[in-house]
Amino acid sequence: MEGFMAVVVGIFFTVAIYLMLSQYIIRILLGVAILGNAVNMLLFVAGRVTREAPPIIGKGADMLPATAANPLPQALILTAIVISFSFFAFLLVLAYRAYQTLKTDDTHQMRLAEPEDAPPPPLGY
Amino acid sequence: MAAHDAPYIFLALIAPFLAAAIAPLLTRALGHWAALPLALVPAGIFAFFCRALPDVQGGQALTGGYLWVPSFNVSYSWLIDGLSLPFVLLISGICALILLYSGGYLKGHPQQGRFFSFILMFMGSMLGVVVSDSFLMLFIYWELTSITSFLLIGFDHSREASRRAAIQALVVTGGGGLALLGGLLLVWNITGVSTISLLIEYAPALKASPYYFAALLLILGGAFTKSAQFPFHFWLPNAMEAPTPVSAYLHSATMVKAGVFLLMRLQPALGDTPAWETILPVFGGVTLLAGTVIGLRQTDLKLMLAYTTVASLGLLVMMTGFGTPHALESAALYLIAHALFKGTLFMVAGAIDHEAGTRDITRLGGLWRAMPLTFAAAMLAALSMGGLPPFLGFLAKEEVYEALVGTNPRALAFTLAAVIGNGLMFALAFAVALKPFVGPQRDLPGPHHGAASVAPPSALPGISHSRGENGKAHGHHIHEAPPLMLTGPVVLALAGLAAGIFSQAFHATFSSPMTSAIAHEAREITISAVPHLSLPFALSLVTIALGVVVYFLLDRAREAAAASLEAIGWGPDQGFDQAMRGLIKGAHVITRKIQTGRLETYIMVVFIVIAATLLLPMAIFAEWPSLPVWPAEAGIHELVIFAIAVIGLFAVVRAADRLTAIVSLGIQGFAVALIYMLYGAPDLAFTQFMVETLSVVILALVMTRLDLQPSDHRHGREMVKDALIALACGAGFTLLLLRAVQVPFNTSLTEFFSQWSKIVAHGSNVVNVIIVDFRGTDTLGEIAVVTITGLVILALIRIRVGGDVKPADNDPERSA
Amino acid sequence: MAASSIPLEALEKSMVLAPVPAEHWLVIAPPVWCMLVGAILIMVRKRMGLQSWLSIPALGGLVLIDAALLAVVIREGPITMVMGRWLPPFGIAFTVDLTGALFNLACGIAALAGGIAALGDIDRTRRTYGFFPFLFLMVGGVSGAFLTGDIFNLYVWFEVLLISSFGLLILGSEREQLDGATKYAILNLIGTTLFLIAVGILYAVFGTLNMADIAAKAPTLGHDAPMMTLSLVFIAAFMMKAAAFPVNFWLPASYHTPRIVVAGLFAGLLTKVGVYALIRVMVMMFPEEGNAYSIVIGVVAVLTMLTGSLGAIAQSDIRRMLGYMVITGIGIILSGVALGAQTAISGALFYSLHSMIVMLALYLMAGIAGRMGGSFSLHELSGLYAKSPLFAALTLALFFSVSGLPPFSGFWPKAMLVKAAFDFGAWWQGAAILVSGLLTTIAATRAFALGWWRMPASGAVVPARMTAAELIPLAGLTLLSVGVGIYPEPLLALAQTAASGLLEPVAYLHSVFPSGVPTP
Repeated sequence: MEGFMAVVVGIFFTVAIYLMLSQYIIRILLGVAILGNAVNMLLFVAGRVTREAPPIIGKGADMLPATAANPLPQALILTAIVISFSFFAFLLVLAYRAYQTLKTDDTHQMRLAEPEDAPPPPLGY
Repeated sequence: MAAHDAPYIFLALIAPFLAAAIAPLLTRALGHWAALPLALVPAGIFAFFCRALPDVQGGQALTGGYLWVPSFNVSYSWLIDGLSLPFVLLISGICALILLYSGGYLKGHPQQGRFFSFILMFMGSMLGVVVSDSFLMLFIYWELTSITSFLLIGFDHSREASRRAAIQALVVTGGGGLALLGGLLLVWNITGVSTISLLIEYAPALKASPYYFAALLLILGGAFTKSAQFPFHFWLPNAMEAPTPVSAYLHSATMVKAGVFLLMRLQPALGDTPAWETILPVFGGVTLLAGTVIGLRQTDLKLMLAYTTVASLGLLVMMTGFGTPHALESAALYLIAHALFKGTLFMVAGAIDHEAGTRDITRLGGLWRAMPLTFAAAMLAALSMGGLPPFLGFLAKEEVYEALVGTNPRALAFTLAAVIGNGLMFALAFAVALKPFVGPQRDLPGPHHGAASVAPPSALPGISHSRGENGKAHGHHIHEAPPLMLTGPVVLALAGLAAGIFSQAFHATFSSPMTSAIAHEAREITISAVPHLSLPFALSLVTIALGVVVYFLLDRAREAAAASLEAIGWGPDQGFDQAMRGLIKGAHVITRKIQTGRLETYIMVVFIVIAATLLLPMAIFAEWPSLPVWPAEAGIHELVIFAIAVIGLFAVVRAADRLTAIVSLGIQGFAVALIYMLYGAPDLAFTQFMVETLSVVILALVMTRLDLQPSDHRHGREMVKDALIALACGAGFTLLLLRAVQVPFNTSLTEFFSQWSKIVAHGSNVVNVIIVDFRGTDTLGEIAVVTITGLVILALIRIRVGGDVKPADNDPERSA
Repeated sequence: MAASSIPLEALEKSMVLAPVPAEHWLVIAPPVWCMLVGAILIMVRKRMGLQSWLSIPALGGLVLIDAALLAVVIREGPITMVMGRWLPPFGIAFTVDLTGALFNLACGIAALAGGIAALGDIDRTRRTYGFFPFLFLMVGGVSGAFLTGDIFNLYVWFEVLLISSFGLLILGSEREQLDGATKYAILNLIGTTLFLIAVGILYAVFGTLNMADIAAKAPTLGHDAPMMTLSLVFIAAFMMKAAAFPVNFWLPASYHTPRIVVAGLFAGLLTKVGVYALIRVMVMMFPEEGNAYSIVIGVVAVLTMLTGSLGAIAQSDIRRMLGYMVITGIGIILSGVALGAQTAISGALFYSLHSMIVMLALYLMAGIAGRMGGSFSLHELSGLYAKSPLFAALTLALFFSVSGLPPFSGFWPKAMLVKAAFDFGAWWQGAAILVSGLLTTIAATRAFALGWWRMPASGAVVPARMTAAELIPLAGLTLLSVGVGIYPEPLLALAQTAASGLLEPVAYLHSVFPSGVPTP
C-alpha cells in the first residue's frame, strides 16, 4: 500500500507547494495547511502501512497482535499535527494583523522591512 | 642576561600595555608633565635590554618563553639576537624621546592622556613584532601595530582626511597582514614548524617546495604593504594626517620598518633564491625612485619627509634582496641611520609647525635666529641623510655603493637608481633642514600650542579648527621649541654623529651582529667614517653633487616633478578611493540582486533548492526506488477516499471564491482523517477531524474579516514555472519516500512498545502510552508550543501601535 | 504505581534500573528550569517589578546550571539521562557531550546578558504581553536542542524555540515587525517542515530515533538506503535554519525589525542551533555522507561568507549590517564543517561560541548607538565617540573581534580554520576566509569612522552615558571576548576534545548504551 500512498503524498506536496508559490499571503497559508497534511501523511507512510487494526491491546492480551498498525508514527504525527496547527493559527492571525496594518496581502507590496529605495551607505569616510 | 631572566623579559614586553592603561589617569593628574614618568617605562626597557648587548655581540641569541596555546602549537616565545636587539633599542629609546616630545607638542590637548596611551600600546606591539619567535605571536603583534597605528592616525578624527587616512592604512596594512597570515600558515604547513628559530633548519626544504613561491608572495604581500613599497606606498603619506610625534615614531622610525624587519628575519629561510633576488630589488628600486620623485613635488615638510621615507624603505628592501656581499651590511647600517636622522627631521618639522604655525616650505624662512638648537639638530640629521662624513648616513651610503658596484647590467641599473634616489634625497633633506631656517625672516602665523595643530573634536567650545592659523598677529614672537620637544631631535642627531665617529665600536655592538643575524653567518663590517678613494666614494661624490644641484634648483625641480606626475594622472591613492567606492556600490548592487525584498522570490528559490536536493542525489548516486507494487487488496472504498482527498486539493487550487476554498480545504482534511481511520489510526483520525475543523473555522474567521479573493490568477508563464517547481518537489518527495520504505524495516521500537505498554506502563492504547509515557518529553514540548502560541496570538491582537489597546473583559490591564 | 505487579524481568528489559547519579539531573535541568520559570512568569505577567526580580536571578541560575553541567561533562565525558527511565533507544535520551555542553553554556551566558539588557530595552507593554516568558521558553528550546539525544525530540525543541522567537519578533506589533515577521515565519516554517520530512524519511530507513543508535547503524546500511539523498535533505534543512546562502533571505529581511535585545538574541542563538544540528547529523551521525558532501558544503560556505561580507558593506542601517555579519560568520563556521577533520571542526566549534557572544554584544552596541545617536542609519549617525569614549572603545573592540583581528576572540578560530584549509589542500576556502575577514574589517571600520569618529554637521555634541542595563552586558561580553582572545587555551582545548568526540563518538555511544549497541 505504501507505493500508492507515496504517490498521493506527492500530490499533496505538489499542490501545497504550488499554493505556497503564490504572491498572496492567504494562498500561501492555504498551502501551509495542506503542507502540514502532506508531511503527516509522509510520516504515516514512513512507518509502514497495514490494514485497519488499531494499535490497542485487547482485554485479555498483553501485547499487540502482529497485524496491528505501527503506533510510533501515529504518536509522532499527533505531536506534529498539534504543532503545525499552532503554527497555522499563528500565521493566520499574523496575516490578519499584517493586512490590517500594511493594508495589503500582496507580498509584492510588503516592502516595509526591506524598502525598495534603500540607499547605499555614505561613500565618503 | 640569562634564561632565568624570562619573567623579566615577559614583564618588559607587557609593561608598555600596563603603562598605557594608567597613562590617561596620570595625565589627568599631572597634565603634560605625565610624559616624564611615562617616558621612564620605555627608558627602563631600553636600559634593561642593553644588558643583553654583550651576549648578542658574541653571536648568541637569547630565546625563551612560555607555553601559550599548546593545543594549537603556539608559544609566547622570544628570540633576541643581533637583528632584534637593535630594533628593541631603537623602539624603546625613540619611544622615550617621543613621549617627551608629545608632552610638549600636545600640551593642553584634552586627549593627551589617550595619546600617550596609544603610543605606549604601539610600542608594546612593535616590541612584540621584533622579538617574536613564534609565527602566530608575530602575526598577532603585527596586526596590533596596524590597529594602534589606526588609532593614532585617526587621532584627530573630526576631520574626514584623518578618518580616510586611518581607514586606508588599516585596510592596506591589514589586508597585507592577512596575506602574511596566509603565508605564515603556508610555511607552517610546508615545513611543519611554527617558530622562526626552528625554521632556519628547514630552509632548504622550504626553498625546494613547490609552494615556496606562493608562500613568498604572500609574505611579501605583508611586508610590502607594511613597508610602503610601490604600489602599496600611498597610505604612508596620507598617514601624515596623524600628529607629528606619530609620524616621527611610527611612520619613519619603527612601524614602517616592520616589513623590512620581517624580510631580514626571514632572509635565511626565504632568501638567496632567484625569486627573492629579483622581486625585492625591483620593487625596492621602483619605490626608491617613485618616492623621491613624488617627494620633490611636495611643499609640506611632513609630506617631503614622508616620501623620502618611502624612498628609503625602497632602498632598504632593495639592499635586503640584492644578494651581493655587503648588501645586507648596507641594509643594516642604513636602517639604523635612517631611524636616527628621519626621526630627528620629523621632530624638527613638528617643532617648526608648532612654533611658526606652518609647514609650507614656500612660506618658511629665517628661523635660525629664533630656533638655533632646532636648526643645529636639523643640520646634523640632514648631513647624515645626505651621506656626508663623518655621519652614520655616510657609512651606510658607502656600504650601499660597495654592494652595488659591478659591471653586469643588473648592477648598473640599480646603481643608477641608487645614485639618483640618494641624490634627490640629499636635496630634500637639506630642503627640510636648511630652507626654513636660512634666508630672510618671513611673515609667519606664529606659535600655537597644542590645540590648533591637532584640533580635537569640538566637545569643547571655542577652539578653532583651522590649521595653521590662530588669528594671532603675524610675525608674533617665535621662540625656540621647549626642552621637552628639543630632547628628541638633539639626542637622535648626536647619536647619528657619534655612531659615525666611533664606527668601530658601533659596528662591533650593533651593525655586525645585526648583519650576522640576518645572514645567519658571521659577518663583519669594517667601514669607517674616514673616506678612502674607491668607486663607492666616487659614487658618493656624484650623489652629493647631484643633490646640491637639485637643492639649488629646487623650485624648478618641483615644477618638473609636478608636471610629469600630472601627465601620468592616475595613482594608487586615487585607485584606492575608486576601489572603495566601487566596492561599496558593487556590494550594494549584488546584495540587492540577491535580497530582492520579495517574499515570493524567496520562497521560490527555497523550493528550487529543495527540488534539487531531492532529485539530484537520487540521480547522481542512483538512489531511485524500484517500481512499487500495486496493492493486492486495495478496496474500492480506500481508492474513493483517496480520490476525494485529491479532488479536494485541486478544488482548493482552483477555488474562485472564499467559500469554495474553505470548503475544499475542509474536504481534503477530512479525507485525510478518513485515510488515517482506514489504516488503523483512530486517535489520529479523531485529532485530525478536530484540528481540521478548528483550522477551517479560524480560516473562515480571518478570511471573512479581510476583503480577500482567495484565488490568485497567475499568468501563463508564471503558472507553468510554479507548477514545474511544485511537480519537481512533489515527485522528489514521492520518490524519496518510496525508496525509503523499500528499505527493510527495523521493527525493534514497535515491538518494544507493543510488548511493554500493558505490562510495564499499564496502558492498552499504545499510541497514548507513547505520547504520555514513552515519549512524554515530546508532548511536553508540544504543550509548550501551544501555550506560547496562545500568548503570541494574544500579543498580536492586543498590542496596537498608537496605543489603542482595547482591553477585553478579562484583561489583567483593565482597571476595575 | 505497584511495582510488585510488574515482573522483574520485564522491568529489566524495558527500563534503566541503575540509580541515576545526582549530577546527571543537570542534563535535563536547563530546559526544565527555563520552562518552570517561564510558566511562573506567565502567571505574573502584570507585575513588572516581580518579572525583573524573577528573571535576572533565574537567568543567573541558568548560567550556573550550565556551568555545572559543563564541569561534569569535562570530568566524566558524555552523560546520558533517559526520560522516564525507559531503555534507550526506546525512550527519549538526553545525551550531553562536550559540544552540547559548550554550546549550552554559551547560550546561557548570552541569555543572561540579553536579560539584563532587556531591563532597559523592553517597555511595559511588551513585558505585559510576555517578553520574559517568551525569552525563557526560547532559551529553554535552545537548551533542549543542544542537550537532546533524540532526533524527533530535536525537532520538537526546534519548534518550541521557533514559536517563542515568533513571539519575541512580533512583540510590539510595529509595522516593520509585522512585515519582517511574515517573511521570517513562513520561511522558517518551510525550514522546520523540511527537517520534519527528513526525520520521517530517517525513521523509515532506520526505524529508530535515537541519535546514538542511528550513528551506530548508519555505516551498516550501505547501499540499502537512500543515504545520500537523505543527508542532503538534512543539510538543506539545517542550511535554512543556519542562514546559509542561498536560503538565508529570512535573516536580512527580519532581524532588524524587532527590539534590539531580541535581534541580538536571535543573532547569537538561533542560527547556531542550525549549525549545531548540522554538525551533530553530518559529522557524528552520517560521517561518510558528510565527507562526500564536503565540496557542496564548502562551496556554500564560501558563497555565504562572501555574500555576507559584501552585504555588510552595502548597508546603511547598522542593524542590517550586523545581520550580514552574522551570515558571514555562519559561512566561516560552515567551511570548518566542510573540511571535516578534527582541527577544522574544533575551529568551527570555537568560532560558533565566539559568534554567539560577540554577535549579541554587537547588537547591544547597536541599540546603544541608536539611542545615543537617534538613528540607526549611517547617513545620520555621528559623533558617538565624543559622546562616550568608553562606548567607542567597547564598540571598536567588538568590531575588531568580529573581523577576526587579534587580540580578540575571533582571531584564533579563524587562524585554526585557515590552517586546516591549507592542511587539507582547500586553498580557496582559506583564501575566502581571509578575504571575507578583510571585507568585514572594511565594513566595520567604515561604520566606526562614520558613526563614531565623524562629528555632526552642527558641531556640538552633548556627552551621554550608558545606563547600567546597557553597560553591564556590553562590557561583560566584550571583556569575555578579550579574555578569550588573550588566553584561548582552555576553550581551544575543549573545542578540540569536543571535535574528537564528534568524529569518533565512542564515548557518546557508550554513555547511551553502556553495555553495547543493541543489534536488531
